[in-house]
Amino acid sequence: MTRKPQAFVLDSGKDEPKLKTAGTRTRIAFEPEPPQQELAVVPPSSASARPRGMGWGALLISALMALVSLWAGLAITRLVEDFFARSPTLGWLVLAVAALAGLAAGAIIIREIWGLLRLNKIEGLQEQAARAINMDEQQSARNVEQGLITLYGGRKDLAWPMKEFRSLSGDIIDPKDRILLADRLLMEPLDEAAHRIIARRARRVTLLTTVTPAAALDILFVASQNLGLLREIAALYGGRPSTLATFKLARMVVTHLAVTGGLALSDSLIQHLVGKGLLGRLSARFGEGAVNGILTSRIGLAAMDVCRPIPGRSPAREALGKLLREVVSFGPKDKDNEPREPQPGNTAEP
Amino acid sequence: MNLNDILDGTRLAAGGLRDFASGLVSPTLRLGVTGLSRSGKTVFITAFVHALLKQARLPVFEAHARGRISRCYLEPQPDDDLPRFSYERHVETLTDMDRQWPEGTRRISQLRLTIEYEPQGLIARNLHGGKLHIDIVDYPGEWLLDLPLMSQTYAQWSAATVSASRTAPRASHAGEWHGFLSTMKGDAPADEQHVLRAAELFTAYLARCRADDVALSTLPPGRFLMPGDLAGSPMLSFAPLDITPGHEPAAGSLAALMARRYDAYVAKVVKPFFFGHFARLDRQIVLVDVLSALNAGPAAVNDLRSALTGVMDSFRIGANSLVSNVLGRRIERVLFAATKADLLHHASHDRLEAILRVLVDEAVRKAEFSGATHDVTALSAIRATREATVTRGKEQLPCITGIPQAGQEIGTTSFDGETEAAIFPGDLPTEPGEALDGALEGQLKFVRFRPPLLKDVTFPHIRLDRAVEFLIGDRFT
Repeated sequence: MTRKPQAFVLDSGKDEPKLKTAGTRTRIAFEPEPPQQELAVVPPSSASARPRGMGWGALLISALMALVSLWAGLAITRLVEDFFARSPTLGWLVLAVAALAGLAAGAIIIREIWGLLRLNKIEGLQEQAARAINMDEQQSARNVEQGLITLYGGRKDLAWPMKEFRSLSGDIIDPKDRILLADRLLMEPLDEAAHRIIARRARRVTLLTTVTPAAALDILFVASQNLGLLREIAALYGGRPSTLATFKLARMVVTHLAVTGGLALSDSLIQHLVGKGLLGRLSARFGEGAVNGILTSRIGLAAMDVCRPIPGRSPAREALGKLLREVVSFGPKDKDNEPREPQPGNTAEP
Repeated sequence: MNLNDILDGTRLAAGGLRDFASGLVSPTLRLGVTGLSRSGKTVFITAFVHALLKQARLPVFEAHARGRISRCYLEPQPDDDLPRFSYERHVETLTDMDRQWPEGTRRISQLRLTIEYEPQGLIARNLHGGKLHIDIVDYPGEWLLDLPLMSQTYAQWSAATVSASRTAPRASHAGEWHGFLSTMKGDAPADEQHVLRAAELFTAYLARCRADDVALSTLPPGRFLMPGDLAGSPMLSFAPLDITPGHEPAAGSLAALMARRYDAYVAKVVKPFFFGHFARLDRQIVLVDVLSALNAGPAAVNDLRSALTGVMDSFRIGANSLVSNVLGRRIERVLFAATKADLLHHASHDRLEAILRVLVDEAVRKAEFSGATHDVTALSAIRATREATVTRGKEQLPCITGIPQAGQEIGTTSFDGETEAAIFPGDLPTEPGEALDGALEGQLKFVRFRPPLLKDVTFPHIRLDRAVEFLIGDRFT
């Protein structure tokens, strides 16, 4: 059946507009307006970056890798044969050692894959949780609930909140409320722990930068401390930070910092104040240390955003207040109370 | 603006000033539990207080779930001229051997619940040390219907009432009164016996329209149906006449007498009720019994909608400003709740909420426009049922199970109040407009259940915690 083009005249009085053709069974249903609430935002992931095609370079590297592993296989086979030629006992011994090495290599590969899968899973949970919060969607909320239970079910530090969370699964609770409940019960203790980790690492970076004699050395320190920080935070939120997963995570964090770079202004202002300003006057090294410490805490906050299975609903960004607080609370202790917000970093180049 | 408006404004301001002063030392939150008769006000208040007193499971109520509430108790209510809400008696009715719902409310009553909590804010810590009083007023829902009368003259009300009574389904119940109405002439000299007889027949007509099978809602004046302590008072002896909205009665005529009594009713009954209890609310929950109206058919649903629209028009809703904080607060949070959500499987709650949204759309829009926070939810303060799925052949029916009240029936099955049953009440429409236009005729039947057994000394509920969090959750700073 073809449908002719047609128009429906709306009767817009003080009521919601209705169709003017009263009496007939034609009805109009307006799409609900988007609710006025703060939406949960999923941190942009590396997956959303433009996918790179399979280039010649990648082909070259893969081919070279294949050659190397073939060569290694050949070399090991030869080695084992040589030893068998000399004495069977030695041959068996070498074979056993080679098998052990193979087993370890296999385990490492499985662990890497496992770690990457975990990261993907957390990303998926974030997306579903955001949908549950923003659109009040029942199915997503249930999926997130299941996901959280598999993720944290065996954790000793979360045993108590987990028990409480599980006990609520039979209640009739709206999807959005269910996710916010999970956020309060499960995420908050983890957030506190994450803040402590970030504060510790940031202080360490400051101290190390201040006391290192050579400028080249502190780059090394800062890099290793930050990688360590990423791994610690990922592990805290249930990730499996293997080598590849950590690199992927680092890329996601950098992307996140780049995308949320809207506050670069306040960032440079802090640097100005801290680095070249007051602290810088006192001691140039300490000024640099402070800047590095702030950078580290930024990276930590971004890592939290990326690793947290439930996206944090960041409050309105009070740029100036936060800036000042950050400068003041740079001392020991206070980092714990710092609001968790994505922060841009000055080295954020994807 | 006439003298009356100025007087009302002054009353508001005076009350507001008093509240502001006392609120500085002992913060008080006036919770308005609004709802037409049988919408479940008494049950909601009882369940609300019971849940807080007995530390029920309220996971979504954050201050409670975090363990920041240290103590809840009842205090003597602040107004000495009001009876106390008999909370204990209602709980007893609900929990004794033959578990019944509380009877309809016949008079106004008040309760003060005090919550002690660990304060976080600077002011809360130093000024009042984390104590919040919650004042709740219970009253017969019929009285709420009077609020729109404050803005109507006798002639306007008369004309509207008479013309409404000539439409279906009202006309079929108004026969006797209509017969008498045609003999009354507005210009005839006043005759007391005439007036009394008219009021009597009019009251009978209102009562008939309220019965379960008709279930209409727009039936003012409310005191005719629930006179409280005014039974027999001359203020209640008037009735509408068949006159035009702009009618000017001659002195000494029947219409003039009626108009005088109507005005007295508005000035001495309606306004004190409104200004005493509704004009200074902080938070409001509007309870709507959508399911009973759906049971009775589209006419009842449409009538419920117009009644709610009229009632909600009287409230001062909106975000508070510096001035309104001192001189008469506005209602800054409104929760529209479809009660008795336990008579439905929870998968249908979204649809129930959608229907409620259509019923209160005008009030919702007003709340949106004025900056008040609002929300729509389906709730059951005391949950009388459990959920189950019945599979018959390839068909799966989401059901609710419980003990239906004696005398309830569905199809050919009737219940004795002892046996448990699984009920499939029918599918609510995906498109809420269908509830209003009669497309559902005979497809829905909601059965009333007896109150549930207590579970660890608390009542089971559906989304009561969400309602509590929305209504008072932000005050525990």
